[in-house]
Amino acid sequence: MIKKLLISIFSIFILMGQMPPNIIIDENEKDIRIKPNIAGTEVVLYGAMPSGKKDIIIEVVGPARNISLEEKRRIYGFWLGLGRADYFQVPSYYNIMSSRKLSKIADQSVFDKLRLGVNNLPLGNAKILNTKTSQNIFNKNLKKSMLDKGQFKIGENEIIVKSGPGKVGIFSTEFLLPSNSYQGKYFVRYFIFQNGEFISYAENKIDLKQAGFSRAIWLTATNFPLLYGILAVILSGSLGWLISTIFRRLKIS
Amino acid sequence: MEFYLPIAEMSINPIGFLILGIIVGTLSGTFGVGGGFLMTPLLIFLGIPPAIAVASEANHIVGSSLSGTIGHLRRKAVDIRMGNVLLAGGILGSFLGIYIFNSLKQVGLVDLLITASYFLFLTAIGIFMLYESLDSLGYFGHKKRSKYYHHSWIMGLPLKIRFRRSGLYISLIPPYIIGFVVGVLSSIMGVGGGFIIIPAMIYILRMPTNVVVGTSLYQIIFITSFVTILHASTNQSVDIILALILLLGGAIGAQIGVRLSGKLNGAWLRIFLSILVLTVGLVMASELIIKPDNVIKIISGSNL
Repeated sequence: MIKKLLISIFSIFILMGQMPPNIIIDENEKDIRIKPNIAGTEVVLYGAMPSGKKDIIIEVVGPARNISLEEKRRIYGFWLGLGRADYFQVPSYYNIMSSRKLSKIADQSVFDKLRLGVNNLPLGNAKILNTKTSQNIFNKNLKKSMLDKGQFKIGENEIIVKSGPGKVGIFSTEFLLPSNSYQGKYFVRYFIFQNGEFISYAENKIDLKQAGFSRAIWLTATNFPLLYGILAVILSGSLGWLISTIFRRLKIS
Repeated sequence: MEFYLPIAEMSINPIGFLILGIIVGTLSGTFGVGGGFLMTPLLIFLGIPPAIAVASEANHIVGSSLSGTIGHLRRKAVDIRMGNVLLAGGILGSFLGIYIFNSLKQVGLVDLLITASYFLFLTAIGIFMLYESLDSLGYFGHKKRSKYYHHSWIMGLPLKIRFRRSGLYISLIPPYIIGFVVGVLSSIMGVGGGFIIIPAMIYILRMPTNVVVGTSLYQIIFITSFVTILHASTNQSVDIILALILLLGGAIGAQIGVRLSGKLNGAWLRIFLSILVLTVGLVMASELIIKPDNVIKIISGSNL
């Protein structure tokens, strides 16, 4: 499938007979390939960029969510979760992919100026309760936990760049939005670098309309808690009944 | 292979949890206990947040106790009237339990409540079982108790009714109170409460042993159903995927356990179980005392 896409992009440039001045991506979000399956939604991003010694970084930022952190403190010898930080509007998903190691593409100061990377994600003001710990420390732990859970990702070397006709490079990358991903707009930002300098930018977005399997369960549990509870009891009960029936049949035969 | 638990918000290896279900199921089939009091601590050790471990385990027990009760009903080993009285107390108790659970959750003390209750109950039961099994092997030189009498204060209580299947004519009050206590424990600890209710039936109510397990399982179905619904509707902590994986493993394990139990020496088995229970109780306490890996962590189930 990717091959077909690439061929179609090639033919556009051959017809145009000139190099693209900038990144060319499909502005229309329908053209980003997304394929839902049980594990989540597979996304294929591709486009054309000027070739030569250039690097590309793609950043995907998911819809915002609320997140609470808990801080354990030692009191009378027991570790108790007393401190709390409530965040509003934290990206539920963040993925930064690049064609080379980030540190080789440009200096951190360049990324900071572009507000690029996990460290530059805006987390807003958290409501901190019952602790003297600063938000900076909570921020650091939030990012670490999200990276551990795979909700924030750093995918160095995950973009493949192939040289096309003329001075065109074709880039492509694939990633999975896990089945617990939030529905909504995922902003995709493309950054091109040359010799450690940022040279061009483009953006489009993915609209995730359908909730994945895990996310659908979460939404039911949150929006219809009583129904969810009754359903949980019915499911567990019927599986229990089914199992006992199966084992009884097995014993007879 | 990885599986995402929607409510616990973490990736797990489903095969690992299936095996965990099989192991605990084997133990519970061998010893005739529900297994909740082992499963919840194990889930917590594996990183499931305590509040979610408790609620999901209650959901798991709905299925496993229903599965077990069917067999006992066929053998007419269930005293339904007794079960209903226990249940009536249990429902009131689970309301109180959920109330305590949610109040402490709001001030960040629910982990303490769960781990401390486990520590207390597991050590007490472990020591009692160890003592009893060593006693039955003749280590303490006691003679077997000769006769079963009801304590006189129990016989003196009003509101007596006849429990035909158990062959008892006793007051409603003791089973109602026992049910109440189990209801509280069930909602705080995510257990069926068999490990409390079975000794209480034998030693306090003096029920015949052949109906004890069936009657206990029968009321556990309803108590844990009720507790599941209460947890789901008040703090959204029931992870149905986790419960179903455990149920599947547990059912296989229970079948293995039932076959094993006939082949092993009862007293030694009980010594093994009591040591296991004591160990889990101590590890549970260490969770509270040893510095956690991550002092700051995300609390699951925070709403969007």
